Amino acid sequence: MKKIEAIWLPEVQQNVFRGLMEVMSRPGKSINLAELAGNVMPARALLATLLDAEVTFCDHNGLLDESDWPLLQAKKATVEHANYILCHGDSAVDFEPMLGELSSPEHSATLVLVVENLSEGSSHLTFSGPGVNGEISVKVAGLNRDWLKQREQWISSFPLGVDLLLVDSSRVMAIPRTTKIEVTSWDM
Amino acid sequence: MTAMRKANAAYPFGFLDEYAKKEVRRTILKAIAIPGYQVPYSSREMPMGRGFGTGGLQLTLSIIGADDTLKVIDQGSDDSVNAVNLRSFIEMTCDGIDTTDITDEANVIQSRHRIPEKPLREDQVIVLQVPYPDPLVVVEPSEDKRKIMHGEADYSRLLVKLYEDIVQFDEITISHRYPTRINDHYVIDPSPIPRWDVPKLNQSKALVLLGAGREKKIYAVPPYTDAEPLAFDDVPFRVESFNDENGQRRCCDRCGDNTSFLDEFTSSVGNKVYQCSDSDWCREQLVAKGE
Ligand SMILES: [Zn+2]
Repeated sequence: MKKIEAIWLPEVQQNVFRGLMEVMSRPGKSINLAELAGNVMPARALLATLLDAEVTFCDHNGLLDESDWPLLQAKKATVEHANYILCHGDSAVDFEPMLGELSSPEHSATLVLVVENLSEGSSHLTFSGPGVNGEISVKVAGLNRDWLKQREQWISSFPLGVDLLLVDSSRVMAIPRTTKIEVTSWDM
Repeated sequence: MTAMRKANAAYPFGFLDEYAKKEVRRTILKAIAIPGYQVPYSSREMPMGRGFGTGGLQLTLSIIGADDTLKVIDQGSDDSVNAVNLRSFIEMTCDGIDTTDITDEANVIQSRHRIPEKPLREDQVIVLQVPYPDPLVVVEPSEDKRKIMHGEADYSRLLVKLYEDIVQFDEITISHRYPTRINDHYVIDPSPIPRWDVPKLNQSKALVLLGAGREKKIYAVPPYTDAEPLAFDDVPFRVESFNDENGQRRCCDRCGDNTSFLDEFTSSVGNKVYQCSDSDWCREQLVAKGE
């Protein structure tokens, strides 16, 4: 019998969720999801934790195996209508995600961006806002600056906006719509 | 104990099925991302009556894991019937978790009516049970209209109502559920905590989650986020005073502390007696005094 992969187990998903709750509460903080979920791509672990048939999902750059879809159970949607969107962080933005409505800002997309590195990198950012005690410095590699420019537009009329989850090969970091980002240096 | 273990097998860990937990978890992340916004979710039936903190319970059951240490308090006490019932339900359905009365030892705290006196830490999360989540109900009966007012951060009618109370009673009479503005936008009902506890929400080190089971809403005050009680220039927000008629701060009859929120009792001989509302705080003060 084939052994079920850790990311589909309830106790692993509970652990992964707690990691997501922690990073969403504390923008700029990154945690190792691969450790919690049995050395898999963090993007898969967090999608397995969050998705089911109640939500829609778009794998915009085709990063997942077709075999993941039946287990994720999420309905496929176009990138403009998806609740959750998986993207390559190094490509430019070529879509407009759901931003929610004034009376229902939760009808907005969560973007999962796969980047090269969340622990080091020559792009230096400073985060502030809810969840951040003053300021926090963030280094990232493999994020196209276009995401930050587009994000400024998307979050320009709070409570509308999008929330980002950045993942590399092991870690996850969140950028909720309330986070103020200052670019201190950028490597292109 | 054997009977309890057997009962376990009938439920998944955490009682709720995995789909229910996923929905609550998605809702929690949205609530954190939009501080103070009441995110709707489809609250499940729980095997206990309404008004028993089902919203808080669903939050706790969706976040807790075998590594966690849980504290459940009601009105500051771990020993009240409500707290005991909730704690034993969670223990029964979450095999392997630890429970404690000691605030310091807990990393998940579920509470009704109080936030512990001891400042919470970054590694703790507090879940507050909410009976009525929407502070705008007093001025606007239509939920659709309230949602727009919230979205626009239009609280002018709520402020007028608050001010009328002040003019009539010469002070802010709201003893609990004090309307509080989060991150300069949404105004929340912080649950029936006393005014004393409201400043603890401001720039809290711990994440604060609020759940209203009957109204099917979850909202959050993220850590290090502004939480400002609504007030006016001429009538500032004030916490409860525990001074006696001579202006002396009353102290706890049991531990002698004069810094905590006090409950008032009438003794058997008819005089008024004051004690810490937070029983673990009181215990800790007694230990510190070597008693
Ligand atoms: Zn005391």
